[in-house]
Amino acid sequence: MMATSKATILAVTFTVSCAVLYAVCTELNLPLVTYHPVIGEIDFLWKPERRGPAMYWYGWMLTSLIGATIIASMATLIPENWLQRIITFAAAAAVAYLIVYSLALFVYEKATVELEWLKWRWLSAAVAFVLAAVVSLLMPIAWNERVWPGWTWAVPAGALAVLGYYLVPYFTR
Amino acid sequence: MIFWTSLLIVHGLLAVALLGAITHQAVALWWPARVQSASFVARFRAVPGISYVWAIIVLYVVTFIMGAWIYTQYRYTSRLALEQLRFFKTVGAFEIKEHVATIGLILLPAYWAFWRRPLSADYADARKQITLFLAILVWANFLIGHIVNNARGFGS
Repeated sequence: MMATSKATILAVTFTVSCAVLYAVCTELNLPLVTYHPVIGEIDFLWKPERRGPAMYWYGWMLTSLIGATIIASMATLIPENWLQRIITFAAAAAVAYLIVYSLALFVYEKATVELEWLKWRWLSAAVAFVLAAVVSLLMPIAWNERVWPGWTWAVPAGALAVLGYYLVPYFTR
Repeated sequence: MIFWTSLLIVHGLLAVALLGAITHQAVALWWPARVQSASFVARFRAVPGISYVWAIIVLYVVTFIMGAWIYTQYRYTSRLALEQLRFFKTVGAFEIKEHVATIGLILLPAYWAFWRRPLSADYADARKQITLFLAILVWANFLIGHIVNNARGFGS
């Protein structure tokens, strides 16, 4: 089995990182530009609406495009097995955080005493970090030799699930 | 208004072409024809998927650009009306369409890499997976586009 070509590494890493960055930019509202469609003007970074609604979607895409291009370019410089480990760790950390934080909120809701610390996001993030590190270390060496092509659908599907979750209020009003 | 309606129709026609191409490719990949047959279904399944790659990429990008352009008009006309009418599900559906379209665009570099000539046997599974995922996204957006357009579309 041959090593993955640089072009494929670049493309795969771009797709994976851009999907993650897009979800992050959307949820944290980090647009590179703000477009005002009524007056046809563009502002740099986030700006509030002026005479009509403001559009941030183009800005979120630009932020994630630039970020993903930088990450993908850097990915071609590191050994492939390390790239696979990094993506595995990041994916495991994201899933672990989702599970740990959901469990913490569930316990908080059901508890008969006040357990405020269960709502601390950083605590769930720290636990997720440790779990992801363990998962990455226990991963068979053979699984880390090459970048798994399946990341290109698994990560964007996960990003889409997160983006969809934040749109639920539109359907429950 | 005629300009934006014309743009929307062209966007829709491009989406139909994209839908046909990606469905053809996905079916040929996941359900290839084993024996030659003159039936419509067998011919549909027998197309060489690789010949669709650049058509799909170009159609996706052009359809996306047109959609992103029409979006500016939608944002301060149709959407405001939908919000005033409390059609929140329709607005939410369009928000989903926006994200699905972006994720589809983001997939294209990897899609291109897995379909590069000469086709690598190492990426046979990856090709099937990413093509199916892209087909699902295109179908989802096509259907959502129809629903949203029905709520506040042509002539409204």
